[in-house]
Amino acid sequence: MVDLLLAQSAFPEAMSQGVLAHYLFVSAAMFTLGLVGFLTRRNLIIMFLCTEMMFQAAGLALVAFSRYHLNYDGQTFVIFVLTVAAAEAALALALVVFLFRKRDSLSAEAWSELKG
Amino acid sequence: MDMIVNPVLLFLALAIGGVGVAVSVPRRKFQASLIGGIIAATGVGLLIVALGGASLARGEGLPSPAFHILAIIALGSCLQVITHRRPVYAALYFILSILSTAGLYLLLAAEFMAFALIIIYAGAILITYLFVIMLASQSRVESEEEGMAEYDAVGRGPITATIASFILLATLTVMLFSGINDISAPTEAEVARVQVEVLDQLPGKVEKVLHREDLISLNETVVGLDERGLSAIVESPDGGQRQVVLPPDLSATNTEGLAFNLLGQYPGTIEIAGVILLMAMLGAVVLARKFAQIDEEAKAAAAAALHESRPISGGHANG
Amino acid sequence: MSMMPALTTLLAAADGPFIAGGTAPAWVGLMAGLPLLGAALCVVCACLNVKSKAPGYLTVGLLAGGFVTALAAFMGGSDSDSYGVATIFRWIHASIGAGSEASITANIGYYMDGLSMLWMLFVTGLATVIGLYSTEYVEHDKGLGYCRFFFAFNLFVFSMSSLVMADNLLLLFLGWEGVGLCSYLLIGYFYKKPEAVAAAKKAFIMNRIGDLGLLMAIGATFVVFGTIEFRPLFEFIRDGVDANGNAIAHTWVVVVIPLLFTAGAFGKSAQIFLYTWLPDAMEGPTPVSALIHAATMVTAGVYLVARMYPLYAADEAHIALSVIAWSGAITAFWAAAIAFAQYDIKRIMGYSTISQLGYMFAGLGVMTTTGAVFHVLTHAFFKATLFLCCGAVMHGFAGQLDMRKLSGVGSIAGFKITAIAMLIGCLNLAGLAGTAGYFSKDMILAEAFVTPGEVIFLPWAVGLLMLLTAFMTAYYTFRVFFRVFVGPVKYEAGDDHHGDAEEEHAAEDAHGHGHDDHGFHPHAPRFAMNAAIALLAIGSIAAIPLYFINAEDHGWAGSMVHESTAAFAAPEVHHDDHGEHGEPHAMLSADVVPVSLGAAPEGDGEAAHHGDNLGLGLDPHKAMYVVSGIIGVFGIGLAAFFHGPKGLGGLFIGNRTDTGSPRMDAVARYFGPLPRLAERKFMIDELYDTIIVKPLLVFSHIFHAFDKLVIDGLVDLFGSLPRWLGSLLRPSQDGMLHGYATGMVAGSAVLLLLVVLVALL
Repeated sequence: MVDLLLAQSAFPEAMSQGVLAHYLFVSAAMFTLGLVGFLTRRNLIIMFLCTEMMFQAAGLALVAFSRYHLNYDGQTFVIFVLTVAAAEAALALALVVFLFRKRDSLSAEAWSELKG
Repeated sequence: MDMIVNPVLLFLALAIGGVGVAVSVPRRKFQASLIGGIIAATGVGLLIVALGGASLARGEGLPSPAFHILAIIALGSCLQVITHRRPVYAALYFILSILSTAGLYLLLAAEFMAFALIIIYAGAILITYLFVIMLASQSRVESEEEGMAEYDAVGRGPITATIASFILLATLTVMLFSGINDISAPTEAEVARVQVEVLDQLPGKVEKVLHREDLISLNETVVGLDERGLSAIVESPDGGQRQVVLPPDLSATNTEGLAFNLLGQYPGTIEIAGVILLMAMLGAVVLARKFAQIDEEAKAAAAAALHESRPISGGHANG
Repeated sequence: MSMMPALTTLLAAADGPFIAGGTAPAWVGLMAGLPLLGAALCVVCACLNVKSKAPGYLTVGLLAGGFVTALAAFMGGSDSDSYGVATIFRWIHASIGAGSEASITANIGYYMDGLSMLWMLFVTGLATVIGLYSTEYVEHDKGLGYCRFFFAFNLFVFSMSSLVMADNLLLLFLGWEGVGLCSYLLIGYFYKKPEAVAAAKKAFIMNRIGDLGLLMAIGATFVVFGTIEFRPLFEFIRDGVDANGNAIAHTWVVVVIPLLFTAGAFGKSAQIFLYTWLPDAMEGPTPVSALIHAATMVTAGVYLVARMYPLYAADEAHIALSVIAWSGAITAFWAAAIAFAQYDIKRIMGYSTISQLGYMFAGLGVMTTTGAVFHVLTHAFFKATLFLCCGAVMHGFAGQLDMRKLSGVGSIAGFKITAIAMLIGCLNLAGLAGTAGYFSKDMILAEAFVTPGEVIFLPWAVGLLMLLTAFMTAYYTFRVFFRVFVGPVKYEAGDDHHGDAEEEHAAEDAHGHGHDDHGFHPHAPRFAMNAAIALLAIGSIAAIPLYFINAEDHGWAGSMVHESTAAFAAPEVHHDDHGEHGEPHAMLSADVVPVSLGAAPEGDGEAAHHGDNLGLGLDPHKAMYVVSGIIGVFGIGLAAFFHGPKGLGGLFIGNRTDTGSPRMDAVARYFGPLPRLAERKFMIDELYDTIIVKPLLVFSHIFHAFDKLVIDGLVDLFGSLPRWLGSLLRPSQDGMLHGYATGMVAGSAVLLLLVVLVALL
C-alpha cells in the first residue's frame, strides 16, 4: 500500500479512455445502488445514507475525470461536494431527529400530509 | 454510434445486475441478499470483464488489480448498505464503501481527496449518522421479528424502483460508453505545462531538491522555471543567473496542485462553503433542539409557591 | 293636392312605378320617434311606480304628436317633391368582398310615398284614438300593469311606423318582428289567464312560419338585386333587370320571391292556413284587438304586398297574384262561414277581420291595389269601431261576450253612443249602400269581374265567392247587432269581476236600471271610451267622401296609391287590347301611354276597356253598386228575420223575445251537422293539432330521448372520463415520499432515454 502511495505521489502519467470507463462505470453503478436504496428503503436515516452514497458516486466520477484530464478542478469540486454533503447530513439528521420526536418512528411513510 | 462494449452484452449485464439488486432488497418474509448479491455481482463482473476485454482490445491496458478489488468491495458494501435490515450495519458497510472509494481515489492519484474523504465522511458524517441511528432506534413501535422496526424489515416497491433506476443506469452507461471516445486526453505538452505551472509556484521546493541533489550551491536561489519546465533559473548572490536542468523525479504532488487550484481559483467559493456550513450548523441546532414547553402560568405558580414558602418581609409590608 | 297627383300618375304610367325620388324631411322620423319616447317614458313610469293614469295620457299625447306629424308630412308631401327618403342615420354599411355590388346598405331611413303616408295617417290616428280609449279600458290595472300595457302599445306604434316607413327591407323586417313581439306581449297582457298565454304563444309561433317566408324573400331579393333598399330595388324592377343586368321576366325571380313575400304577408295578416291565431288573439284586451288585430298590424301583410307590387306585376303569368286572389277569396268565405255560427261577439269580429283581410288580398290579387288599400282604410275605421263597441260591452258586463246572454244593450242607459257606433260599424261591415265599407268592397268586387281571365286564374269565380261572402258578412254582422244591442233588456254578467272599479261605478250610476242580475250593475263607458268610439264612428262616416275626392284616381286612396309603387294596378286594363303577353306589366311601354293619356280620367278608360264579364251589359262598377247593395240589404233582412226582436221600430219581421233565437234554431236543424261544425270552427285547430302538433310532439319525444341517451351520454362520458382517469392517477398522489421520488427518477430516466435515442437515431 505504501509503495502504491509512493508510486502515485509523483506526477501521474496520462490515463487511457478504457481505464476511465472502468471508473465511470463503478461510479454509475454506485449511484444507481444509492438510488435504488433511496427508493426502496423506508428508514429515513438509511434514505439519507443513500443520498450520501450518490454524492460519493458523483465524487468518484469527478475525481476520475480530474485524473484523466490532469486538471485539479474536479478534485476541488469534490471538496465542495463534501462540504455540501456535510451540511446536508447535519440538517437532514437534525430533521430526522425532529420528525422522530413527532411520530416516534423513522418511517418515511409516517409522513403523508401531501396526499392528494 | 460506437460503444466500447457490445450493447447487447451491456444490457444483459445491467438486467442481471438489476435482478440481483431487486432480489436482495429486504422483504417481509425472507431476504435473499446473498443470492441477490451473487446475481448482481455476476452482472457487474460480466460488465467489468467486458470492459477489460474492450480496453485490452484497444491496446489501452487494464486498470491495476487493486482497482478490481477495491471496486468490488465498494459496490458490494454499497449493496449491503441498501439491503441490510439493521441501520447500524448499513452505516458500517457505508464506512467500508467509503474506505474502498478512498482507495480508488488513491489509484486516481488523488491522495488528498482520499484522506479527506475518510476523515470527513467516515470520521465525521458517518459517526453522526451512527449517533442518530442509535438515538432513534429505541422505537416503541417494533415488529416481533428480532425486535426490528417494520420500516427497516421491508423494502418498498423494489421492482418499480429497480426498473426505474436501472433504466437510468442503462441510459447513463450508454452515454458514458459511447461518449468516452470523444473525450480527448491531454497531450504531452499540456501535461508538461500543468507541471510547470505548479512547479513555477513552488520555487522553494525546487530549490530544496536542487540543494539535496547538490546541483546548486547554498547561496544560490531559484527564481523560476524556463518555459518548457525542464530547467530552473538559478540566481547567484552577485546577480548572475544560470539554468540548471531539473532532476527527472522532481514533480509537484497532487496536494500541492490541488492547494493552488483551490485557493488560487476558488477563494470566493470557499467563503460560501463556510457560510453554508455555518448555516447548516445553526439549522441543525435549531431543528434538533428539544423544545421546552414553557407554561407561563405554571412558571408564575411555581414562583408564587416559592414566594409562599419563603416569605419576604417586604411583601408583608406592602400587603 | 293640386296638379301634382295627376301629373305624377301620368309619369307613373309612363315610367313604371312611382319611385319617391326626393329627400323627405328628417322630422318624419318623429312618427316613429315619439312612440319610442313614449315607450321609454312608460318604462320610467314603471320604475317610479306611478299609480295614476299618467302613462296613458302621456301615450295619447305623444301619439297625437305622431298623428300631427303625419298630417304635416301629408300636407307637405302631396304638393311638393318631399316624397322621398329621409335617412335618419347610417345603420349597416357592409362590404362583402370586392366590388360595389357585393355590399349591403341598410339605413335607419324612411321611405315616404303615398302608400306609407296613407298607412301612417291611419296608424297614428287610430293609435291616438284607441290609446285614449285604453286609458279607461285598463284602468282597473293601474300601476305596473298600466305601464306595461302602454309600453307595449307605444312600442307597437313605433314598430308599425318602422315597418311602414322603412326604406329598406331589413328595417321593414325589424318593424315586422317588432309588431309581432308587441302583439305577443299585448295578447298575453292578462298573463294570469292560461288561454291568453296560449293565444299569445300561438300568435307568435304561427307568425314565425310566415316570417320565415319573409326572411327568405329578403335574402332572395338581396341575392338577385344586390340591394335591399327600396329605391334602387324599384329602379331595378322598373327596368326589368336584376343586379347583373339580366332580364327578370319569365324567371323564377318574379314567381318565387313574390310567393315568399306572400307567405310572410299571409302569416301576419292571418290568411289561409295561417289564420287560426287571430281569433285566439281576441283573448287580449279589446283596444289591442281593435288596433293591432283589426286595424293596423294585420294589414301589414296587405302593405307588404302593395309595397312589393312591382315585383308581383313583373310576372306576366301572375302566378303569385292568382295565389293571393284565390287565397284571399277562400279565406274570406271560410272565415265568414265560421263567424256564422259563433256566439262570442269578439270572436265574430275576429273572424270578420280575417274575412275582410281576405277581401283585401283578393283585391290585391285582382290588381286593384287602390281597392285593397281603400278597404284597408275603411275597414280600419269601422272594424276598430266595432271592436271598441264590443270592448265597451265587455267592459260594462264584466267580460261577458256571449250573445246568448246579452240582449238589448242599446237600451241600457249609458250605452247609447256604443249602440249607435255599433250600428254604424255594422252597416259598414255589412256593406249597406252608401257606406264607406260599401264603396271599398264594391271596388274590389267590381275589379274581380273586370280583370281578364288571362291575368289571373278565374277572376270571376273569385268575384262570385266574394259576393257570397258579402251576403254572409251582412248576415252575421247584423246577427250580432240584432241580438245584443236591440230587443228586450236581458243580460248575465261575465265572470270577470274586478271589484273596486265596479263598486265605484255602481255608486256613480246611482240611477241604475230595472234589471238586477245577481246584484250586478253594468257600468257604462265614460268619457274617454265614448269619445274614442264616437271619433271612430265619425271616422267611418268621414271615409265616405274620400271615395269621391279625386274620382279620376278612384278616390283619395287611389291618388295616394298612384304616388307609390303600388300604382301598377292601373295598367292591367289595357292588357286585353294589346295582347302583348310577352311584355311584363312592370315594363309598361310607351305604346300604352297614349291610350292612358287619351282616355284619362282613368275610371272611364277602365270602363271602356273592360270586358263585360258580368254579362249584364252594364259598367261593372255600376252593376256592382246595385248587386252588392241588394245583397247587403238582403243579408241584413235575413238577420233581422232570424235574430231581430219582436216589434222593433218599423221592422216587424223579427219575433225574438228573449236572448235566444227560436227561428234560427228551427232552421239550423235542416243543415245537419254543419252549424255545429262551424261553431267548432270546422275543427281546424284540432286538425292542425292532429297533423302537425302531434307528430311534432312524437318527433320531439324521440329527439328528447336521443338527446338524453346519446348526446347527454356523450357529454356525460366526456365528463366522467377525466374523473375516471383521475381515479386512476389519484393513487400516485398518496403523499408518500417514495412515490414521488420514483416518479422523478422514472421521469428523468425517460428524458435521458429520449436524449440518447435522439442522439442514436
